[in-house]
Amino acid sequence: MDKVLEKKRLNEFLSKVSKGKELIAPVKKGTLRFEVVTAFADICLEGRPLFPIKKFFSPSKQDLLSLNLAKKDKPYDEVKVKFKPRIIFGARLCDFNGLLRLDKFFLSKEYRDDYYKLARENTLLFAINCVPTPSKYCFCESMSLERYYDLMFHDLGDKYYVEAGTVRGKSLINELRDYDFTMPAITCDKKLDKKDLAKYYDDVAWSKENDKCLSCGKCTAHCTTCLCFDVNDELAPDLQKGKRFKEWDSCQFLNFTLVAGGAVFRKERLPRFKHRIYHKLQYFREKFGMDMCTGCGRCIEACPRLIDFTEVINKLK
Amino acid sequence: MKMLFDSAAFRIIAKEKQTQDIYLFRLEKAGAKKTEKSELNYQPGQFFQLGIPGFGEAPFSVCSASKDFIEFNIRGLGEVTNKLISLQPRELIWLRGPYGTSYPMKEIRGNSLVIIGGGTGVAPLRGVLKHVEAHRADYDRVHLFFGFKSPEEILFKKDMNAWNRIFDLHLTLDKAPKDYKGKVGLVTKIVEESRLDNKNKIVMICGPPIMMKFTIQTLEKTGFNHDQIFVSYERRMKCGTGMCGHCMISGVYVCKDGPVFRYDKVKGLHE
Repeated sequence: MDKVLEKKRLNEFLSKVSKGKELIAPVKKGTLRFEVVTAFADICLEGRPLFPIKKFFSPSKQDLLSLNLAKKDKPYDEVKVKFKPRIIFGARLCDFNGLLRLDKFFLSKEYRDDYYKLARENTLLFAINCVPTPSKYCFCESMSLERYYDLMFHDLGDKYYVEAGTVRGKSLINELRDYDFTMPAITCDKKLDKKDLAKYYDDVAWSKENDKCLSCGKCTAHCTTCLCFDVNDELAPDLQKGKRFKEWDSCQFLNFTLVAGGAVFRKERLPRFKHRIYHKLQYFREKFGMDMCTGCGRCIEACPRLIDFTEVINKLK
Repeated sequence: MKMLFDSAAFRIIAKEKQTQDIYLFRLEKAGAKKTEKSELNYQPGQFFQLGIPGFGEAPFSVCSASKDFIEFNIRGLGEVTNKLISLQPRELIWLRGPYGTSYPMKEIRGNSLVIIGGGTGVAPLRGVLKHVEAHRADYDRVHLFFGFKSPEEILFKKDMNAWNRIFDLHLTLDKAPKDYKGKVGLVTKIVEESRLDNKNKIVMICGPPIMMKFTIQTLEKTGFNHDQIFVSYERRMKCGTGMCGHCMISGVYVCKDGPVFRYDKVKGLHE
C-alpha cells in the first residue's frame, strides 16, 4: 500500500523532508537545469533538463590533491570532501538508473572514488514518473530499467501517487494518506531494436550516420553515464601552490587516445563513434550484465547534427 | 580512507644516460631506514604512475626485477617526461602502483624464451631479463631480438654486452653508418633468419604497434601459435584503475586487464 499527496501540499512535504538538506530539482531560470533549489516557485517539472545529474556525483572539474611545492617531503595533501545531505527531486528513472551504472566504476571493491561514494550515500532519490515521456528522444522503454529510487511521484492531476522504493523512502511518507493504485509503466514512441552488435562492427550504416559528426563531445557531456576523465596538475603564478584535479574528458576527442610521442590510436571519428556506442551496448554488458545506456536520448537531443545511434542499430540487418 | 591518487616518495639513487633524450633511473623508497628496508613488490610487465607535483603524472613500465629498487627508462617527450629527465640523484619522484598484469614468469618456467623488442619497447623486456638473470635455472634457452633506429639509439649497452655472452642476442638497426659491422634491417628479418621452431617456447613482444603486428605475422609463418605469444600494449593511462577510460580497447582496459596480454586473448580487438 502506498501513499497519496495533494499537489498543493508538495512544497510543504518537500520542505519538511529536506530540512537540514539541500534540495536539488529541475529549476527553470532560462535553461532548465538541475540546481539547488532556493525558491520552490523555481521548480519546473515540465520537460527534463538536458544536462543530467552526474555533476552532483562527479563534478566536471574536481580537485584531488592540493600541492605545495615548498613542502619538499610532502608536497601533496588530500582534498577533503564534505557533503551536506541532499535530496534530488524531479529526476527520472533513466537518471537514477544511470547511477546504478556508474556505481560499477566508482564503487567497485578494488577502486573506489571517495567523492562519488560520499555523494551517493548522502543523496536521497525522488523520481517523477514519465507519463507522458518528457522528450521525443526518450527510448528507455527498450532499456529494461530497474525501479531504482527512494520515492517515485506519479502525477494524478490534483495529487501525486507516491511509491517508496526503499526503506528510507518509506519512512519519509508514513504520515501520508494510503492510496491504492498501480504505478503505470513508461511507454516510449521511440524504440531501440536491440541486437548482438558484435556482428555489425563493419556495417556501413555506422559511417553513414557518423559522417555528420563534428567531434564536439556534446554526446558524452550530456550522457547520463559518461564519466571518462583526465587528470592534470595546475600551478598558481607563484609556482609553489597548486592542485591536481580530474576533469571530464570525451572519447570523441582526437587526443583521447594520444600517447607519448604523438601517436593516436583512434584517429578517425568513426572508430570513436563506434567505441562509444559499443561501450554502452556491448562492452559494458559483457562485464556487468546490463547496458550502460539508460535510454534517456540526451546524446541525440544534444547533438548539433542530431546523430541518432538508435536509427543506425534499428536499420542493421 | 585510502586515497586513490595517493603517491609514495621515491628517491633517485642513480641516473644513467642512455641516448640523447633517454635516461635510466634507479629509485628506492624514500625515508626507509637501512635496517628496516621494506621490500618492493612489483613484477616485470607492470607499470607505475610517476608524478612530479605541479607537472603531473605519466605511466611507465618497470624495467628491473629487484626487491630493493625500481628502474625506469624515461624518454623526454612531453611536459612531464622532460621534467623527469631533468631530475638528478637524491631528488624525489612520486610513485603509485604497481598496476596491471605482469609476464607470467612462474607459469612459463621450463620453456625457452623468445624476446623481441623495438626501441623503448625493450624497457619492459629488460625487467623480464633481470628476472631471468636472477633465476637462470628456471628457463631453457633465451633468444633476444632487438631493433633500434641507429647505433646512438641502442639502449642498455652494458646489459647488451652481458646478454650477448649469456643469451642468444640478435641486434638490428633501421639505419647505420657504412662502417657498422652488425645487422641492418627490420626486426622481423632477424627473427625470420633465426629459423626458430615453436617447440617449448614462449614469445614476448614489445614495441611500436606496427612492429608488433609484423613480428606476429612472421612468427605465424614459422609455426608459432597465438597462445605462445605475450604482447605488451602502450596507452596513456590517467588513473591506472579502470575508471578514466583512456586505455580502453574494445571492452579491455590496458591498465587492469593488461598491459601484458596473451595474444590470443586480444587479437582482432576493435581499436
